[in-house]
Amino acid sequence: MLLRASGVTHNRNYDLNSVTGAVQDDGGVPHGRLLVEFAEAVLGEDEGALAAARAALSKAIGPTGLADAAGVVGLFNAIDRVADATGIPLEAEKAEASADFRAALGLDRFSVAARR
Amino acid sequence: MSELYASAPIKIRADLAAAHTRAWERIGRPGNWWDGAQRVAIAAETRHAPSCALCRRRIEALSPAAIEGEHDSLGALPESVIEVVHRVRNDPGRLSERWFRGLIAAGLSEEQYVETVSIVAHVVAVDTMARGLGLDALPLPEPEPGLPSHYRPAGAKLGGAWLPWLEPAGLTEQEAGIYPAGRPAANIMKAMSLVPDEVKSFFDIVSHQYQGPLEMRDFSREYRAISHAQIELLAARVSSLNQCLY
Repeated sequence: MLLRASGVTHNRNYDLNSVTGAVQDDGGVPHGRLLVEFAEAVLGEDEGALAAARAALSKAIGPTGLADAAGVVGLFNAIDRVADATGIPLEAEKAEASADFRAALGLDRFSVAARR
Repeated sequence: MSELYASAPIKIRADLAAAHTRAWERIGRPGNWWDGAQRVAIAAETRHAPSCALCRRRIEALSPAAIEGEHDSLGALPESVIEVVHRVRNDPGRLSERWFRGLIAAGLSEEQYVETVSIVAHVVAVDTMARGLGLDALPLPEPEPGLPSHYRPAGAKLGGAWLPWLEPAGLTEQEAGIYPAGRPAANIMKAMSLVPDEVKSFFDIVSHQYQGPLEMRDFSREYRAISHAQIELLAARVSSLNQCLY
C-alpha cells in the first residue's frame, strides 16, 4: 500500500504486479527487477543465485544501498511472521484502500480469515 | 555499540548496528516470561529449525496438520515451544488460530507464546539481513542470570487478533511509549503488546532496519540509500513470497 502511496506522491504509476513477481521489468521502480530478484534470492535456497543477485544489485545501487535493501528484506521476513503468528487483521482503512489491488493480484487468499 | 559489524566487509549504518547490539544483548537477558538461558535457547532453535526433516515434510504436504512426528531439535526446550519456533520459522503462512489454540490448551501460556514469537522474529530479522549481505550469522549472546518478571499488562484484552492486546487507551505508565505519538497504533504494533517489552525491542529494530512510523509515510524526502518506492517494493515482494497479506 505504501508503494502505491509513494507513486501517488511522486506522480508515478508503479506496476503492482511486480509484487507477485509476475513482471520481468522494473515495474516503474528504479532497479525494480534487480530488487525483486534479490529479495527472491535471499528467501530462496540457491546460493549461486543469491551471490549473483547480490553482486548485480550492489553494482546498480552501491554497497550502501545493498545494505539497506538487505535490511528491509530481513525486517519484512520477520514482521510477516509476527503478523501470521498473532492473527492480526488488516485495519479497516487499509483493507478498503487496498481492496482493488488485493483482488487484482489474488492476495486475499493469504488473509487471516482464510487460515482459520 | 557498533562493534557487532566492525569486521564486516560491507559498511552497516552505525544506528542499525547499535540497534542490533541492543537486541542481541536483550535476547541474553531475562525477559518477562523466559529467563536468559531459555531466550538464548529459543534463538538457537530458530537457527536450527530450517534443517528439521518433519518441517520439510509438512511444508510439502497439503496441510501441515496431516503430518505427525517429532521435530529435529536441539533438545533444550519443551516440545510446545519447539513447535512454535519451527512453525513460525519455517511455515508461517499456514499458521492457524486452531493451531494456536491447541498450543494454549496444551499448557503454553499466551505470554510465553508472544515472547517466543518475538525472539524468533528478532533472529529472523538479523539473520536474514546477514544472509542477504553474505555475512556470517552473529554469534548468539551469552545468557545472563536472573528470573523473568512475569509482568502482564493489566489493560490487555481481546481485540482483533488471536491474543489479547493493548489499545492505546489501556496503556499505563509502565507501557508508555510503546506506540508512536500522533497517529493510530497499527495492528502490527499491537500484535505483541501482551508483552510490552517485546514491542519496544522489536520496533527498535523496525525503526532502524526499515524506517520509523513517521519516516515511512514521509514521501517528501528519503531517509535511506534506497528510495521509499524501492523499500516498499522489497517489502511487498517479501510479504508476497511469505504469503502474508498484512
